[in-house]
Amino acid sequence: MRRTLKLIASVFLASILNGCVQKEVLDDITLIEGIGFDYIDSKNILGTIVIPVYLPKQAPKNITFSAKAEIKKSMLQDIQRQTADPLVTGSLAVVLFSKTLTEKVGILPLVDPFQRDPGVGSGLYLAVVDGETKELLGGNYGIRGNATYISNLMNHNIKNEDLPQTNLQWFLADFYQEGKTPFIPQIKQIGKDKLKITGISLLKYGKMVDFIEAEDMFFFKLLVDKYSEGLHRVKIESGEAAVRSIRSSHNFELTKRNPMEITIHIKVDGIINEFTGQELTPKNIQELKQQFSKDIQKESLKLVQRFIGKQIDPIGIGHYVKTQTRNFDFNNWRENQYKDIVVKIKPDVKISESGVIE
Amino acid sequence: MFNFFKNSEKESLDKILAKSADFKCLEYYNNKSNISFTLKFLATLVDEKTIQDSVLPYLLEGNFKQIEDVKQIVPLPDIKLSEDISQIEDMIFNGSVLLTVNGKDNKFCFLGAKKEIGRNISLPEVEFSVIGPKESFVESLDQNLNLIRKRIPVKELVIEKKTVGTLSKTKVAILYIDGITNTENVNTVRQRIEGIEFDEITDSSYIVQIISDNQNSPFPQLLDTERPDRISAILAEGKVAIFVDGSPHALIGPTTLVEFFSSFEDYYLNWILSSFFRLIRLFAVVFSILVTPVYVATLSYHYELIPQDLMSTLVASRRAIPFPPILEALFLELTIELLREAGARLPTKVGQTIGIVGGIVIGTASVEAGLTSNILLIFIALAALASFTTPVYRIGNTIRLLRFPFLLFAEVWGLLGIIVCFCFLLTHLIRLTSLGRPYLEPLYPPRMQDLKDAFIRLSFDKQRKRPFLLNTKEPYRFPKKAKKEKKDIEDE
Repeated sequence: MRRTLKLIASVFLASILNGCVQKEVLDDITLIEGIGFDYIDSKNILGTIVIPVYLPKQAPKNITFSAKAEIKKSMLQDIQRQTADPLVTGSLAVVLFSKTLTEKVGILPLVDPFQRDPGVGSGLYLAVVDGETKELLGGNYGIRGNATYISNLMNHNIKNEDLPQTNLQWFLADFYQEGKTPFIPQIKQIGKDKLKITGISLLKYGKMVDFIEAEDMFFFKLLVDKYSEGLHRVKIESGEAAVRSIRSSHNFELTKRNPMEITIHIKVDGIINEFTGQELTPKNIQELKQQFSKDIQKESLKLVQRFIGKQIDPIGIGHYVKTQTRNFDFNNWRENQYKDIVVKIKPDVKISESGVIE
Repeated sequence: MFNFFKNSEKESLDKILAKSADFKCLEYYNNKSNISFTLKFLATLVDEKTIQDSVLPYLLEGNFKQIEDVKQIVPLPDIKLSEDISQIEDMIFNGSVLLTVNGKDNKFCFLGAKKEIGRNISLPEVEFSVIGPKESFVESLDQNLNLIRKRIPVKELVIEKKTVGTLSKTKVAILYIDGITNTENVNTVRQRIEGIEFDEITDSSYIVQIISDNQNSPFPQLLDTERPDRISAILAEGKVAIFVDGSPHALIGPTTLVEFFSSFEDYYLNWILSSFFRLIRLFAVVFSILVTPVYVATLSYHYELIPQDLMSTLVASRRAIPFPPILEALFLELTIELLREAGARLPTKVGQTIGIVGGIVIGTASVEAGLTSNILLIFIALAALASFTTPVYRIGNTIRLLRFPFLLFAEVWGLLGIIVCFCFLLTHLIRLTSLGRPYLEPLYPPRMQDLKDAFIRLSFDKQRKRPFLLNTKEPYRFPKKAKKEKKDIEDE
């Protein structure tokens, strides 16, 4: 009897704790799916959020709210005054920054709140917008809402094309990793209902310092990411071929110390998607292979030289050298060693398939 | 024994019996041997045709001089001479005819002429299986025991009989195989059945509840079955079976939780198939218990967990609903429970109609009226369907009940609450025993060797060992196969 009483009492006492958990019933909250930040002046920004309004058997309607503010949280408070239900960040999918803002102010103070919010997933995509984010978020893309459209766009380009792996987690990891420069993709609105990934922005201390064009993204991905999948056109005398990389890996090797010399081995497994020439003979394939290797070497080296010239390091050479060196001094590295480093690229290309019908 | 009737000692048996209309006391006279005798019996219990055909002609015309002659002249198998007056009451109520020779009251004879009214063996209705035998137990104890004796024709099969219930005097049979079953288990059953103090035991369900280790548990601690094949199989495993007169369900003990999810058809299918079906059934049970609580928890607390693609479907279906998820879920769960109760109480034909009316009309109407979301309706219907896959009806009821505490905990603390409730459930299950043996075995205590016939069922050649749980006297079911040795080249 006493035991039963104790049980009942404990259940009742436990139910008092009910108030300790905050209830967020799905239909009584406003889900923010995307946030955009635009530049107003050196102290103020314009924040825009996009929320989907789900309608039965229809594509969700995108509604945007904007507010001028100093930092992100106060911007949300301002928007809070415009919405019927409390705003929650739990299903946030993308955060966009306008190009002007990234160049002039930097995105660090704006990203900070997201890494502290437990509701925000680390798979959140960050991106720079060529133009105004307010305008971009105001468009109507796809059938699943704007933010989902943007995040799907990035997701599939990372998986199947030449956009390197990127999200909040990767951004922060790169940012906190000394000897590595973070990068995020750049998108642009090219019509009322169309978007495009235009390239990759490189951010030094949160500010955009360089931009990689879409044509170079294939080589950039070879340098920074594993399992690069992308398409590259190779020209030889007898025609032009489209080679799709199906698997790739890159390895660093510290070949010399004084002066520093780094060799980057790039392994690519490719298949030939199309060929414009007459016939694809084994000889042609051999030529294609060599040409592809040459292209990789030339273009990658060009990229690396450009990074060294701009004193940025998205490939993480500094980080790699640090792992190989005792008592590594980053100041010395940044000021002296990185400038004079010699980088060699050694591509290893394999063409594993050239079509079913020979 | 506790004497129920305070005044029964004061009045004589004849006087009390004479109050009943079916008591007959008939006097006869045998002309040949000049002897008068009396037959006393209860007409409702005795087959009067037997008296007319096989008793009276021989007593009236035969050479009947004294009571001892009855055995020679009456062609009945069950004739008992006695001088013990205390037996009379018992025998009369068991359908015997009391024969006394007038003037010599101290010696008498019982003639067995029991009237058997019962139904024939029919198809199993609760545990139907497509493959396998189609007979099931009936209410008559003797008929049921006959079914078992036929399946295990060995002298080691022991049938002990007990009588329980001060009013009902129900006959209970304890079955086990001597030399296999652990005597400890048999003793426990015997002791508990002897200890039953209740007036009217009408069914084996009474016995389950009275002799279970923990009467305050929603979990049944003895398995009940209506299939003779199941009983004979578990007897061979080393378990104890309990039969109750008047009940078509026999009891099995000790049992484990997992056994409630094994259908006997599992043994008739190939082990790969039956293992797969068992896993599906277990999944169905977990699904059935958890799906609504998880729905409520996610929608009230953890919207972050909902995939983006599902969001639009979920939110759009809930937009117009005026209730919080918990009320919505409780409303639908209660509707389903009502339907089930109504379906179970009504006659079969009306019951079917109720199912259709309830399922289709109420479901569609409540969605159209905007009272519930159609997604939850699908979940609840699936959960109800999943709970019907349990092969033992009794555990299905337990699962019905379990959903509600989970639902309340989910409402109070979200997913954390579901975990808390699960911890309560697990603690309870770990403490539970069946005839003193752990109920959660082979999960806890972990017994690897008993896993061969728990969540999956391995092939029969892997089933050499009897369950470790039962601690049987003879641990092996068949001799070990001799290893095939390769012939040496020189031997050839």
